[in-house]
Amino acid sequence: MRAVYGIVAREFLRFLRQRGRVVASIGRPFVWLVFAGAGFAGVFAGRNEIDYRVYMAPGLLGMVVMFGSLLAALSTVTDREAGVLRMMLVAPIRRSTVALGKALGATLLGTAQAVVVAGLLLPIVHLRPTLAGALLGLVAVVLSGLALGALGVVLAASIRSIENFAGVMNFVVFPMLFLSGALYPVGHLGPVLRAVAYANPLAYGVDLLKHALLGAWAGAGYGGELPVPLDCAALSLFAIAGLTIAASLLGREGGVTRTAFRQRP
Amino acid sequence: MTAAAIDARGLGKDFGALRALDRLDLEVGDGEFFGLLGPNGAGKTTTVHLLATLLAPSRGTARVAGHDVVEEGLAVRRGIGLVFQDTTLDRDLTVAENLRFAARLWSLPERVSRSRIDALLRQFDLLERRDDPVRALSGGMRRAADIARGILHEPRILFLDEPTAGLDPRARRSLWDRIRGLRAASRLTVLLTTHYVEEAEPCDRVAVLDHGRLVALGTPAELKQAAGVDSLEEVFLAHTGHPLTEADGA
Repeated sequence: MRAVYGIVAREFLRFLRQRGRVVASIGRPFVWLVFAGAGFAGVFAGRNEIDYRVYMAPGLLGMVVMFGSLLAALSTVTDREAGVLRMMLVAPIRRSTVALGKALGATLLGTAQAVVVAGLLLPIVHLRPTLAGALLGLVAVVLSGLALGALGVVLAASIRSIENFAGVMNFVVFPMLFLSGALYPVGHLGPVLRAVAYANPLAYGVDLLKHALLGAWAGAGYGGELPVPLDCAALSLFAIAGLTIAASLLGREGGVTRTAFRQRP
Repeated sequence: MTAAAIDARGLGKDFGALRALDRLDLEVGDGEFFGLLGPNGAGKTTTVHLLATLLAPSRGTARVAGHDVVEEGLAVRRGIGLVFQDTTLDRDLTVAENLRFAARLWSLPERVSRSRIDALLRQFDLLERRDDPVRALSGGMRRAADIARGILHEPRILFLDEPTAGLDPRARRSLWDRIRGLRAASRLTVLLTTHYVEEAEPCDRVAVLDHGRLVALGTPAELKQAAGVDSLEEVFLAHTGHPLTEADGA
């Protein structure tokens, strides 16, 4: 569908034009690798089954997808404030097509960023995935991107203004990151936090990435903690639920339409 | 009998307790240049958004470009172009990229859109600026690009919502030349909203709105004659008891 392609193409054009965003998205995981990696590696120094930086790699890729996809999808808020969303709403396409286009653009942006970062990061930590591992990793990245992109559109459709971004960062992005298994195994969390972690789409994405990249350490307890099919099913479910909710939020007049066309008093 | 371009029956919209548009009966003929005149808050933009399927009516019905605005939203949107009060262009993209984006949203084949975009850029004097980001353009040029975006898919009806708001007199004049040129070149139906009487003057017919109600409808000459006055400004005063400009911003 040409309209979806148009929305996706615009996401890429905008991303590449914002140099700061490109630098941040590529550089962010390496900042974490250096600083968080150095600190945690010290804490884990007594255990030599795995270098902590290697353990972090799947989580960092998950983080790249999360920031890439979620932030791209949240740009729907900016589109609304700048008026561009209205151009999309007056086009002869369904609201669900707009939601799908935004989510898909976010997915592909997150995926592209993760692939670029993987190409730089994996050699640095001396991780050489098998072909099967690389393919599974790609599946993990795409599915996570779709689930998080859909979530981002849902959030964007519910957020009133750009100022609420900070709230999203504090109460969505960071908890999601810490409860994803990116930095430590989810199994080490208490039962309550573990339950919360399993409501977190990123947790399944990171778990799948661990299956893909840390297979060699699975025996030592550092690989994926859940079965691969369960991870895939959970991510698909999040993606489908997110897209459905996003489409209905964009479709109802009280959602984006009202805020996009609010009557000035 | 040819179907009217716009046919609204008892069309109305409430926002909570606010009755933005009461019950509007309106018929706009094919190829007509129609003006909606009224102060800010009279319900002009609400009317346009209802007719463009961006808002759902609280009551009444409307057919636009031969289709029902509630039942056939996609078909209505295919037949109309809409230039919003504030620009809807992506300021970070170039003029050409914005038009290409719109062409894809309207599912125009790449081959058709390329030649059409070139022609529109030439027609709107934007050829030299085609690769400049929109944020670098003057208000008048942005407006021209907005209108080019609005007619890219060759709609039957063009809605212009306060198209000259925020433009200097020169940009305003050149905009009117463009709209005149467009109408001369095609049988485009144009529905214009404005709170400037001089902009309603060249319209074939004018509907005067105030507080969500239609208070007068006719050709500018008829309206003036019926009210026994010399200007549309006085027509508004005669029908509402308050001047058009003073109600501004109320």
